[in-house]
Amino acid sequence: MMDTGLLPVLSTEAAPSSPGAPLLVVEKLTKTFPRRQSLRSLIRGEPRKRVHALSDVDLTIHRGETLGIVGESGCGKSTLARCLVRLYRTDSGRIAYAGLDVGSLKGADLRRFNRRVQMVFQDPYGSLNPRMTVRATLAEALSVHRMRPPREIEGRINELMDLVHLPRGAARRRPHEFSGGQRQRIGIARALALEPDCLVADELVSALDVSVQAQMVNLLLELQQRLQLTVLFIAHDLRLVRHLSHRVAVMYLGRVVELAETEALFTRPRHPYTQALLKAAPELDPRLRSTSDAVRGELPSPVNPPPGCPFHTRCPDAIALCMTVRPELKPLLDGRLAACHIAAAEDGLAAL
Amino acid sequence: MSSTVPTLSVAPATEPRRVWKRPPSAFILGAIITAGFLLAAIAPGLLAPYDPLAFDYDNLQVGPGAAHWFGTDNFGRDVLSRIIWASRIDIQIALFCTIPPLLIGTAVGSLVGYYGGIADTIFGRIVDLVITFPFIVLVIAIVAVLGPGLVNVYIAVTSVGWVFYARLVRSQVMVLRQADFAAAGQVMGYSAARIIFRHLLPNAMTAVIVYWMTDMALDILLGSSLGYLGLGAQPPTAEWGVLVSDGKNFMDTAWWMTVFPGAAIVVCGTGLSLLGDGVADLLAVRR
Amino acid sequence: MRAPLLLLRGLQTTLATDNGALTVVDGVDLDVREGEILGLVGESGSGKSMTLRSILRLIRPPGRVSGEILWRGRDLVPLREPEMRAIRGREIGMIFQEPMTALNPVLSVGRQILENLRAHTDLGRTARRNRTVELLDLVGIPAAAQRVNDYPHQFSGGMRQRAMIAIALASNPSLLLADEPTTALDVTIQDQILKLLLRLRETLGMAVILVTHDLGVVAQSCDRVAVMYAGRVAEIGEVSAVFAAPRHAYTLGLLQSVPDARRIRQALRPIGGAPPPPGTVGDRCAFIPRCDFATAACEVRRPPLISIGGGRLAACVHGDRLQQAEWAA
Repeated sequence: MMDTGLLPVLSTEAAPSSPGAPLLVVEKLTKTFPRRQSLRSLIRGEPRKRVHALSDVDLTIHRGETLGIVGESGCGKSTLARCLVRLYRTDSGRIAYAGLDVGSLKGADLRRFNRRVQMVFQDPYGSLNPRMTVRATLAEALSVHRMRPPREIEGRINELMDLVHLPRGAARRRPHEFSGGQRQRIGIARALALEPDCLVADELVSALDVSVQAQMVNLLLELQQRLQLTVLFIAHDLRLVRHLSHRVAVMYLGRVVELAETEALFTRPRHPYTQALLKAAPELDPRLRSTSDAVRGELPSPVNPPPGCPFHTRCPDAIALCMTVRPELKPLLDGRLAACHIAAAEDGLAAL
Repeated sequence: MSSTVPTLSVAPATEPRRVWKRPPSAFILGAIITAGFLLAAIAPGLLAPYDPLAFDYDNLQVGPGAAHWFGTDNFGRDVLSRIIWASRIDIQIALFCTIPPLLIGTAVGSLVGYYGGIADTIFGRIVDLVITFPFIVLVIAIVAVLGPGLVNVYIAVTSVGWVFYARLVRSQVMVLRQADFAAAGQVMGYSAARIIFRHLLPNAMTAVIVYWMTDMALDILLGSSLGYLGLGAQPPTAEWGVLVSDGKNFMDTAWWMTVFPGAAIVVCGTGLSLLGDGVADLLAVRR
Repeated sequence: MRAPLLLLRGLQTTLATDNGALTVVDGVDLDVREGEILGLVGESGSGKSMTLRSILRLIRPPGRVSGEILWRGRDLVPLREPEMRAIRGREIGMIFQEPMTALNPVLSVGRQILENLRAHTDLGRTARRNRTVELLDLVGIPAAAQRVNDYPHQFSGGMRQRAMIAIALASNPSLLLADEPTTALDVTIQDQILKLLLRLRETLGMAVILVTHDLGVVAQSCDRVAVMYAGRVAEIGEVSAVFAAPRHAYTLGLLQSVPDARRIRQALRPIGGAPPPPGTVGDRCAFIPRCDFATAACEVRRPPLISIGGGRLAACVHGDRLQQAEWAA
């Protein structure tokens, strides 16, 4: 079945079909979560504290690419994923899907957008309804969105099972009969049932063993090639992100601090946080051992992010400027984006 | 590349789990007891050896024996037959006192649990209000206003009882709402109704069904208590509580008039509780 | 070569489950030397954590531990509970993946260290207090003196893991059992904790068994590594030697599953299938269904862990063929 039921605005646009064109554009995205307030601070009339999960995030995802997002817990990468598929409403900023403002979508339009941008979840044990067989899960997706006429649904379920390399007969089973990796395949099949353009994979393989991770990586590469999928690959495992991504964004404390082509980022990281992250990731080569800590200190509280550069409290190179003025995410000489005063000065783009 | 990736096998390791596990004997016992009472309620004429209303002035207050297993009452009516016919009323009480609260409570609880917000706050206040009073006191107060009779008992129990079901469903739904499969439903573009009723509720119902079984037992007890007090089923309708009440004046001369209907209440309640526990085990789903 | 501190011989651990007895550790042979860091690596279900728990006999009855656990030459298996308690936490310490579940939430961190000091040392009151601060300082908790009275929930994940290490160190153990101590932590914090363990080993001369599923962690912090599969040790040796030339097909498979920076966006070489469920292996190599090298020779019996020179042991019939295969790839 050809897809003609695109968003009305989209169907007239030619741009989204060409590879490399921006598919999702995120501008100044900010998301905070209220903290539970103690009675004492309520009585004192103190303002409610908020966790700053995302602050002014700018990001462009091109059609057909894999954009990797790395960062440690609390950096906002999962919040970003959930904002992109509209699980969360954003505080401010804009997400545009092929030029369309995602934040303002409602009803049928929102459903059509959800068809286009799908998500696969981290927890293989929580993301499937334990009472539904795989067939019921897939059939529901196919019939709710009228992806296939009723008599073709059975055949399509078989196709989807083939696509994720699960035996067709397994469709009559329920989630608890599958291993973690197999459940993630079911999650992918469910997402693919809607024939999306973009797949948001939030820590897709983090809960899996190494050998199963490799199976999933191969599946993802294969599917992307077959279906021309755009993938947002969110993970904390740098090795996997490096393997899968065309470009990588590094997040720290709710902000993108560096964004570059994968090779450039990994061979010559420019932001001190990226450098620390790469140094901390354990290399597989026992000869490359170091005895010193990759970076000192811990993540500052996202309730009171530090002024200036968010990384200055741990940065080995921080100067006075870093403590007061927040560096913007700006292009360096080689075209990559970095939010660092020192890196900009090194490239002669700013004076210290 | 795709051709070399083998189709994964689903581990046969899961097979042993699929073997039908023999239900525990407690569950079987509960099922037999409940089935027995259900049969009595559906077809009392088949089981009862005598007409429950037929007076027999030659056999007044005859003790348990071969002719009358449970003896006869002060009008010579067969106690066993009266208990069997009474189970029709008591099973009716068990169902009519629980199903409307179950339906209302499930609907309210799932909506409040899913949406939260101001509705949840209001619901919280209602719960506070209801649990401040003992359940039976509230029911008696409402029946006293409406007047005695079974229909009014049903109204009274429903108007209070739904809160307990709703509270249970709400807490279940609030937990399930956080699960990734609920988020997945949202991302799949499913309507809230579909997520609540197809994805969340089926996973919340185990606890509700278990509660329902014990609630039926409690409501039989409640119906009998109200019958005993003269607020529920009205004589000559045979109802276990009424039977106990009728027999209480003859405790020292005809103990069987009170003991056997009382035993029926206990056995039926126990049967429902055992059944409830067993059903919970069977419905439990592996994550 | 240093003297063995701990020797495991034919260690077997059986757990009772709803579906009958499950043998999760199935004949583990292992030696731990004075002052070394031994990595215990494998996928989930390989029995690595259970081996660790079995050493301290932390297996609830009706589960049982058999075989030999020779701690400084003395077998721990027949010991009774009170004798075992004298070894647990005093001579052998243990830290866990989730500090929050291992720490007591209603006692301050300092209090928990003090109690350990009282139980396992004969220090006086003041000495215990000073030692508590010293220990917190040793594990890198900033402003230790002020944080003594803090409760576990007031600590971050990394700080909790440090606190748990401090508690384990209170009795000055000769062996620390670390069960995935960094798995729940972020990579920069993981790095700090691993470096801390390395430093503590240097200063205290304590041996560590580090259970992990991350080959990178092994490469960066262990002296020797034991690879576990289906409840048994598949291969053991110096980390650099094992990583350079694995001699068990499973080790090779694990190393090849990891993405290689030189082959970006190309298909990886995963180990197909899944590990066998406990108790289904029988008397043949447990890895056969997933192995590219399997032949009839692998079916004869479960290959024993035998010495292959250079202080290495492997339980693979085809250890020699792996080398060529790796170069061909």
